[in-house]
Amino acid sequence: MRLEQFSPHISHKVVEALQRIGVRTDTDLLLLNDPTNIFSRLPPELGLSLLDFRRAVEKVAQIASATPSYGDELLEKELSRHEDVFADNVLIGVPEVDALLGGLSPPRVVEVSGDKGSGKTALALQLVLRHLIQVPDSSVLWIDSSGEFAPERVSLMLEQLGAESSSSRVLERLQISLAFDIEAVHEVLESLRRSLTAVPDTTGYGESPATRCIVIDSITPLLGPMLSATSSQGHAIMTTFMRQLRTFADTYMLTILVINAATKILPGNPEAVFETTRKPALGPSFTFLTDATLWLSQRSPLSSTDEEATLHVAEVFRSRTTRSKTWALFKIKNGVLVSA
Amino acid sequence: MSDRLLSTLSLPPPTLSALAGAGYETVNDLSNATPQQLSKDLNIPLPASQAVFSATRPSVALPMTQSAAAMMGTTKQYSTGCPPLDRLLGGGLKRGFILEINGPPGSGKEQIAAIAVRAFVECKQEVLFVDMQNMVLPATIKRTMMRNPTANSDGMDLVRYLAFHTTAELVVFMRNLTAYLEAYPATALLVLNSLAFPFQADMALKERYAILDRLKQTLARACTSLGLTVIITSQLVTKMLESHGEPGSAPPASKATMIPSFASNNFPSGRTYRVIIVPQTRMTGVMRLLSSPTHVPNRAPAFAGEEPYQRIRGVIS
Repeated sequence: MRLEQFSPHISHKVVEALQRIGVRTDTDLLLLNDPTNIFSRLPPELGLSLLDFRRAVEKVAQIASATPSYGDELLEKELSRHEDVFADNVLIGVPEVDALLGGLSPPRVVEVSGDKGSGKTALALQLVLRHLIQVPDSSVLWIDSSGEFAPERVSLMLEQLGAESSSSRVLERLQISLAFDIEAVHEVLESLRRSLTAVPDTTGYGESPATRCIVIDSITPLLGPMLSATSSQGHAIMTTFMRQLRTFADTYMLTILVINAATKILPGNPEAVFETTRKPALGPSFTFLTDATLWLSQRSPLSSTDEEATLHVAEVFRSRTTRSKTWALFKIKNGVLVSA
Repeated sequence: MSDRLLSTLSLPPPTLSALAGAGYETVNDLSNATPQQLSKDLNIPLPASQAVFSATRPSVALPMTQSAAAMMGTTKQYSTGCPPLDRLLGGGLKRGFILEINGPPGSGKEQIAAIAVRAFVECKQEVLFVDMQNMVLPATIKRTMMRNPTANSDGMDLVRYLAFHTTAELVVFMRNLTAYLEAYPATALLVLNSLAFPFQADMALKERYAILDRLKQTLARACTSLGLTVIITSQLVTKMLESHGEPGSAPPASKATMIPSFASNNFPSGRTYRVIIVPQTRMTGVMRLLSSPTHVPNRAPAFAGEEPYQRIRGVIS
């Protein structure tokens, strides 16, 4: 923080004098040197006594430090929020999978990872469409990072979910943004923030629907290329972005679904319940940046009965609210997730 | 203003570190500064501080966004001029979609591209024809268009022709494509003829992936925001198989198979139809739809549709 922002406690002349000797921010003032040393470098014409200066530095330290939060207050807040955990309007529609994560109601940032064809986009799409069908005045933002979104899949799934009559209204409330790099995603989030903060100003009969859910389809090509073994900048960008997503979800009560790809790991993955040589991409720390990591994989057809359905397993690798190493089976039939 | 962190803006690193060193963390901190003040304060040149302010300026609407209804709204289907292909595509090629045609030499893919140009010109749409192997000359396009008895020579004004064959020229073309399309907004069709040719040069795998990735992004952007339709023709490559069908080096009299040069993930899969022409006799064969926007990968059958065709005197039906 800049020293000008502490203005009632440090006068403007002192700030200017400090700037001239190279002390510009609060970290410079508090950590660069002993207050007495800094005071001795200040010009004597300022008319400031050492005692006043030390008092000012103490005040700056008090303001600049982080505000504490107490554990018992946090627990109370968490318990009081628990009553609408199973609110019906943000659910996938497969009860066993919804129970794995304790529902997907806001605010939540969930990572869904798996190999190609394991059902990640299908799961996200089903969640989104069910929500849009059930809540007529909400909208969803789908951030597509590789141009893979096909509107035909949406109408196919809407048919399967049995919602032809309202299908056009649903399609209008699903907004798709194309973002090929992380700066573009920041731009999209920024304009979303602006539109969400502008909503209380509009009086009357809710014109534009409020966004309740964001899906980032494939965050791997956005963040993956920046991660490198020699520099930590990519990792810093990743952490900052996920942190921002978290504060975004908390501030505006959103459910954010992040779809991640998979990479190879040899020997087998110790986190998984079933034997596999794949793990979620973006490194070991990515799972700690979200509330829960759901791993989807397709079971080999010998255990599935027949028809058009493929058998899949959803496992929880890590979750803040429910137990991990729990799993559930589900089938994908005609593109729609159903119970196994 | 907002609490957006300044480090998330796309500014050059020296500017970002100067901002961080002076204690500016979020966009809110810049709200009472002017570019001149900032440039003096941070000791950076004036253009750099102006760039900071223009990067923080809010944009009017969600960038590159449309609703799913708008995406589906463009239902105008253009016939490709080739009935079996139209049947495979479910009626025709929609605006904003990409069609990739693979096939062995002599199977008629360039001919299909030329016929498609004619179909678009008849609907009064402008076309940009890019030829990368000198397979289709402007004279050929003119001849194809003149075959239609009702054609007039004004049709050729709607077609623009570009030829190149090196990888560097391809990269330059991709970089300029968006600006070109903004200068000529009536361009409805882009034909990339023999796209596999510039990639046949000896290049490192990383380079190939980088160029393909760039191509995918450029095409996806152009198709989504400008409604550009793209037809790509590409050659097949030969892959040698050992006698028991495993990929490997080739002892004599082993099998070889011809496969498409590009994979499904080289094109935005939500907007691409991939077709392969399989000639079975001199005049007849089948066309197969390898992938389409609704075709889910990794699921049998291996292709999504098949249509027989026959070629009589150069006319495919």
